[in-house]
Amino acid sequence: MKASFLKRISTTILLSALFFSCSSDLDFDQTKDLKLEPVFVANLAYFDVPANKFVDNGTEQQIAFDEQYFDIFKEKFLRDNLAKAEFNFELENTVNRAFTLNILLLSENDQVLETITLAIPAYSGTTNTIKYPTEVFENQRLDVLKQSRKLGFVIVMSPGPPLSASSTGSLKLRSGATAYMVIE
Amino acid sequence: MRTKYLLLILAFQLSCFAQNKEVLYNFTAIPQSSLVNPGADVSYKFYFGVPVLSGVSANIGSSSFSAYDLFANNGVDFNDKVRNVLNNSSSKDKTQLNQQLEIFSGGFRVGGEDSQSYISFGVYQEFDFLMYVPKDLGILALDGNRDHIGKSFNLADLNVRAEVLSVFHVGFHKKINEKLVLGGRAKLYSSGANATSTKNSGFIYTGQSNGTPNLYIQNITSNLELKTSGIAAFTKDEYDEANIPGDIAHNTFFNGSLGLGLDAGLTYYFKENLQFTASIVDLGFIRQSKDVETRRYKGTYNYQGANPVFDASNEPGDIFDDFENAIPRETLYDKYTTWRPTKFYSSVEYSFGEKRSDDDCNCKGKVTRKYVNALGGQLFAMSMPVEPFVALTAFYRRNIFDNLDVKATYTYDAYSHKNIGLGLAGTVGKLNMYLLVNNLLELKDVSKANSMAFQLGFNFVFQNAKD
Repeated sequence: MKASFLKRISTTILLSALFFSCSSDLDFDQTKDLKLEPVFVANLAYFDVPANKFVDNGTEQQIAFDEQYFDIFKEKFLRDNLAKAEFNFELENTVNRAFTLNILLLSENDQVLETITLAIPAYSGTTNTIKYPTEVFENQRLDVLKQSRKLGFVIVMSPGPPLSASSTGSLKLRSGATAYMVIE
Repeated sequence: MRTKYLLLILAFQLSCFAQNKEVLYNFTAIPQSSLVNPGADVSYKFYFGVPVLSGVSANIGSSSFSAYDLFANNGVDFNDKVRNVLNNSSSKDKTQLNQQLEIFSGGFRVGGEDSQSYISFGVYQEFDFLMYVPKDLGILALDGNRDHIGKSFNLADLNVRAEVLSVFHVGFHKKINEKLVLGGRAKLYSSGANATSTKNSGFIYTGQSNGTPNLYIQNITSNLELKTSGIAAFTKDEYDEANIPGDIAHNTFFNGSLGLGLDAGLTYYFKENLQFTASIVDLGFIRQSKDVETRRYKGTYNYQGANPVFDASNEPGDIFDDFENAIPRETLYDKYTTWRPTKFYSSVEYSFGEKRSDDDCNCKGKVTRKYVNALGGQLFAMSMPVEPFVALTAFYRRNIFDNLDVKATYTYDAYSHKNIGLGLAGTVGKLNMYLLVNNLLELKDVSKANSMAFQLGFNFVFQNAKD
């Protein structure tokens, strides 16, 4: 009799220990506060056009043009969560002619939404590299960026000493994008 | 209220950790101890478990963080908590849940009163979850790649498996002679749902180098694979999600992927009071064959940018197309095999302090001494995707009254260095009850515990009159 009484007592104590043990106040609702703010960098575009590319059959080509699909903003996730973007451009010119590079943000049907103009002087024997100020896309400008589906590149060569098939040097572009995401 | 929630979750959903049942192991006053060692020296005329209440167990373990670290109501920003947890974790840290519920169980002696052969059987339901901390992917999601130029984010950090299954089992053990007990158990597994993504590899890399024409060097090498069984139907648009619990339960018991397994164990007495035991549990596999679906992303992608080519005519390039061609998303419907997490236990036990017998005489003339105290050590090991889990336990067991046994344990493992467990097993009349809890020191604030485990149950045990 005494034994079973003790059994009951000890069982009760152990059960109590389990079910009346303490816990700090926990708040599972705070998972709603989760806010990811990663910053991603990526290549945007580069090219390396040698001087003789501007000469076709002995005739100078003043303008070169190309376009590339840039359809990352078809992704709803990116449209919804991109809070800010930055483009960084760097041109290096070793051709003895000045150039202007126009980078066009184009819509699906080739409408120009925005033009970024980068100019660089002719090469004169010294280092000729320009890092352009960061292009920042926020608010309305960011909305325009999100509508773009293609990138257009227009190289315009300024007047100067004529180029030939044996002209040296090249025009180089290096560029990157920085994406500031806010995911809630 | 939330405290109660947590306790309820702890009590009935999650199970303590690593499936190490160090308090239950070789606690032969409990018939269920033969589930962790089919060769345990358990004896009865017959027993049956109280349906659904004979074996309730749960383990939860997290090697690098506790519920408190993430969910404490202390004013610290949740994002900072996530970052702290991630910083304090390595990709070898893991979170584990295991829960078992015996639906029914029973056992009986075969071959007459003097026989020492026993058959036991039963059905239990089990839930298993194991996830390693996806550290690199966590950092990528929190920080992005800008501040980690030159780092390879390792996709192998994504390592998770989960399964709901039912187990039908029949075991046999026999006391061959005074020194040796041998036992085995055959198991039929029926898996209602399985998700396995444990063999991923690859990396995401962003680098910078002066000699290269582009601003960044960007590579993704991916070998990601998620295999599922019994889950694909739930992801279809027309499926009503309210049916998920019912459908999983139905599949688990009646329409699961089938598998086979084996437990084996022994007890050996070097001397009457010096005992050795060993067992292997869940040496088996499941052939995942019901509603199987595998998602795979395999390939290599080198991102250069949207680069113009100033030729007379060329097709504009498309970054997205390039990516999808390089790392295509594949869906496969092949059956696959999963291995059960296999557990290994061993113990050495020294008994002392002879028990005074109340009996007037021992009429059969065969004297088996009983000891009041037992002291010993146990080893536990379990197979896992990255490296095996190992735990060492020291224990002391004492028989207090004729029908009350107490076992205390101290366990050292990856989750805790101060895990003290306590178990009670007693019999009132024919009713056998047990309650085993580990990590007692953490009961003062369970939210800060890295691991918790308990088992409890009720059985009716019948012994021969002479026993």
